[in-house]
Amino acid sequence: MTQEVVAASQVVTGSSFWTATAIFVLVYALIVFEKIHKTILAIFGAALMIVLGIVTQEDAFNSRDLGIDWNVIFLLISMMIIINIMKPTGVFEYIAIKSAKAAKGKPFMIMAIFSVVTAVASALLDNVTTILLIAPVTMLICQALEIDVVPFLITEALASNIGGTATLIGDPPNIMIASKAQLGFMAFIYNLTPVIIVVLIAYVITIKFIFAKKLHVRDELRQRVMAMNENDAIKDPVLLKKSLAVLAITITGFVLHGMLHFEPATIALFGAGLLLLLSGEKKPHYILAQVEWTTLFFFMGLFIIIGGIVKVGLVKLMAVKVLEITQGNLFGTTMIVLWFSALASAFIDNIPYVATMNPVIIDMAKQLWPDVSGIHLLHHPDLMPLWWSLALGAGLGGNGTAIGASANVIVMGMAEKTGNPISFKKFMLYGMPLMIESVAICTAYVWLRYYVLKI
Amino acid sequence: MKAKDLMIPLQEYLRPDNTLKEATNLLRTAQRGEEKIGVKALPVLDDSDKLVGILSIGDILKAVYPSYMYLMDLGAFTWDGMVEAFTRKAADKKVEEFMTRKVITVKEDSTLMDCIDQMLKNNIKRVPVLDKENKLVGMLYERDVFYTITKIMLEENSANFQGESLKFNEKDRGKK
Repeated sequence: MTQEVVAASQVVTGSSFWTATAIFVLVYALIVFEKIHKTILAIFGAALMIVLGIVTQEDAFNSRDLGIDWNVIFLLISMMIIINIMKPTGVFEYIAIKSAKAAKGKPFMIMAIFSVVTAVASALLDNVTTILLIAPVTMLICQALEIDVVPFLITEALASNIGGTATLIGDPPNIMIASKAQLGFMAFIYNLTPVIIVVLIAYVITIKFIFAKKLHVRDELRQRVMAMNENDAIKDPVLLKKSLAVLAITITGFVLHGMLHFEPATIALFGAGLLLLLSGEKKPHYILAQVEWTTLFFFMGLFIIIGGIVKVGLVKLMAVKVLEITQGNLFGTTMIVLWFSALASAFIDNIPYVATMNPVIIDMAKQLWPDVSGIHLLHHPDLMPLWWSLALGAGLGGNGTAIGASANVIVMGMAEKTGNPISFKKFMLYGMPLMIESVAICTAYVWLRYYVLKI
Repeated sequence: MKAKDLMIPLQEYLRPDNTLKEATNLLRTAQRGEEKIGVKALPVLDDSDKLVGILSIGDILKAVYPSYMYLMDLGAFTWDGMVEAFTRKAADKKVEEFMTRKVITVKEDSTLMDCIDQMLKNNIKRVPVLDKENKLVGMLYERDVFYTITKIMLEENSANFQGESLKFNEKDRGKK
């Protein structure tokens, strides 16, 4: 290892090292300050990396290691297209109203069922999409019941981040990890879903202790909810049937993608293409314009910036430093990755964080097992807990603060717009303890499963 | 024809700190032109009489409409009495909270085509007219532009009508 440290410190002498590092640090710092939009920063930073000769355009556009990860981009685009076609059918309104009625209009039951529905939906859809679909109905129902919507919005945002961590497609960090580490949909189901189910159960029990006693409504107000007819939500039953069929095919495709030898993005693209075709849409402009291009360009810019710091050796240096701290102890490294990821993601965007950590983990693997390469290195049995810890930490860590995850930022914005602003402190008061609880459960899980039982 | 020839000179206006209750009352009673009572929008002027916004009937509707309903199709799940409850809450809110801040304006010397250009491109039915010092001097309404067009059309055909329709129209303009 000492040789590697020397090798790493040698890279430091190059001027391109400092240029790339400066771009990276500056872009990330400015992202934190939020004075300039993060997508603009990412695009400009990426352009600088190419213009200043850190990475070539060829690398930036076509290299899987140093450039844009099209697997991630196309998976996101495809899922966004599917949701954009499904949304006007009214299926999401239907599910939400049905859930509220299943809870008999009782406030804590609504909170619990909405949290579980949000978590399950987030596992299959993007968290932000899920929140944008559940929060408006929640606000309407709370208004009908004449109760404070804030606890509901907070618990849903937290549930969405928990649920999103469960699957490969649930959250962008997982999509990025899956692509970099070449992990399949079922690998996420085997490794993350079980612990997320435990986390979710513990979460619902905890919010019951916090909120159940405070929530009461008069019976006549509950009647307002019970009088809602969920069937009124369905606007286009034909398109709904087609959408559900395509969604089922797509999810089956995800389950089988390893066996079929297709990347997840291929499956998603097939689903998006099929639904576009079946929808009978004459002009796809609107559906395609609704794709969140701002987010996608943020990803593209980040990938190129990260490519730059990988190329000049900054990432390698980070990997060496982490291993120095943990002295190559893998369990220690895993725990640090889990908790550091959680704390980091509580305060910074977990997307740039994971974009940076992915190559760091790969470089750590290169340091630890210099003779192994390719998929054998990425899937080294001792490396696997690190990937899962990164996913769990980055996914659940977002719950720590109001700015930790996009879903949180969205509910804060919605709450403010409707005249019930949530303070940063108030969000953290609920979010931080619940985040620590969930990461503690994951700690026990990772330790037990990968270091004691070794399954 | 210029904007100043067609505009209705400034009469009533709102201040940013007026309540919506005051605003709705003024919208109801304000005069447009000589005879018409009730307007669909009022300009909002600050203490130095600078135009800072415009408050329309649409903005009043938005004040009693929960913004989250824009995000999904929830109309079928609303209940009787919901608007009443929201209206009571909105009554004492300030005009500045709901006015449209980005006001499309024309100059008093703007040509009529320029005014139509602004109306069509921005989908507005009335446009504040400013003088050279950017002071608000009047409002130009779509309907008055329409009357002008009508007048021109009927004048072109006046060989047949002998100006009879034209007279009818001028009479109509004041009353309707």
